[in-house]
Amino acid sequence: MNLFYLSSPSTFFHFAGRLAPWFFVLAAVLGATGLYVGLVQAPTDATQGEVYRVIFIHVPAAWMSMFIYFVMACYGAMALTFNSRLSAMMARALAPTGAMFTFVALWTGAFWGRPTWGTYWVWDARITSELVLLFLYLGYIALANAFEDPRRGDRAASLLAIVGIVNLPIIYFSVQWWNTLHQGSSVRLTGTSMHVTMLTGMLLMVFSFWMYAIGAALTRVRSIILERERRTRWVRALRPA
Amino acid sequence: MDHTFFLAMSYGATAIAIAAELVALALGRKRAWKHIDEERELEAQD
Repeated sequence: MNLFYLSSPSTFFHFAGRLAPWFFVLAAVLGATGLYVGLVQAPTDATQGEVYRVIFIHVPAAWMSMFIYFVMACYGAMALTFNSRLSAMMARALAPTGAMFTFVALWTGAFWGRPTWGTYWVWDARITSELVLLFLYLGYIALANAFEDPRRGDRAASLLAIVGIVNLPIIYFSVQWWNTLHQGSSVRLTGTSMHVTMLTGMLLMVFSFWMYAIGAALTRVRSIILERERRTRWVRALRPA
Repeated sequence: MDHTFFLAMSYGATAIAIAAELVALALGRKRAWKHIDEERELEAQD
């Protein structure tokens, strides 16, 4: 198979259509298992009690918010470097899902912070830099849609995504660089301080959110391809599935 | 302290956010097809 076979919007449209439902199914199965392990099987935390169970959505959502931004910026860089249409479309398709996960991370963090820290919000380095990430996503979406010519919007938004990537190490290392109210990482490449059942539930939710993000991005990119290519012969020959 | 409220607000908001995105995806798809149909109609008129 040619290396660039899937870089054609028409080929990728059909490819994404075949894959997306399977990613949603995987997300549902992993999510249901993760929620069962997290809410039923995992023991109560010795210090935080039951409220720690917010971890099963807060941490996966926060990880996905950063990971999706990184992937989006990579697609943006590819779009600028190789002038590839599909990369820019994929970057656009990822942004709303990334913004949604960033919002979920901030929201669930607030409802975890209130019973544990005594406040919904504090201008802590980790939380503030995560809020900046949400603004970057919203800025990306606004900028991408601000131009009549979508290709100009792609270029401007891709540049913003690449510049904004500097925020990712700030979010990740903020708990080490500054004295923050937000706790440090419980999961590292070298090991974890978590109970194995808690870790299992959390990782299942991470993979569930990951599969969901891929399914959502593939579904959204199909709509973007249809909008952009609607004057082409291959789109006109299509019928709604 | 009863933590049910905080858990319900966290899980509930996440469920609503995901449901809203799925609705937005369906609407986006519908809008794209509507635009294609409009193009087809314009072409047929010509």
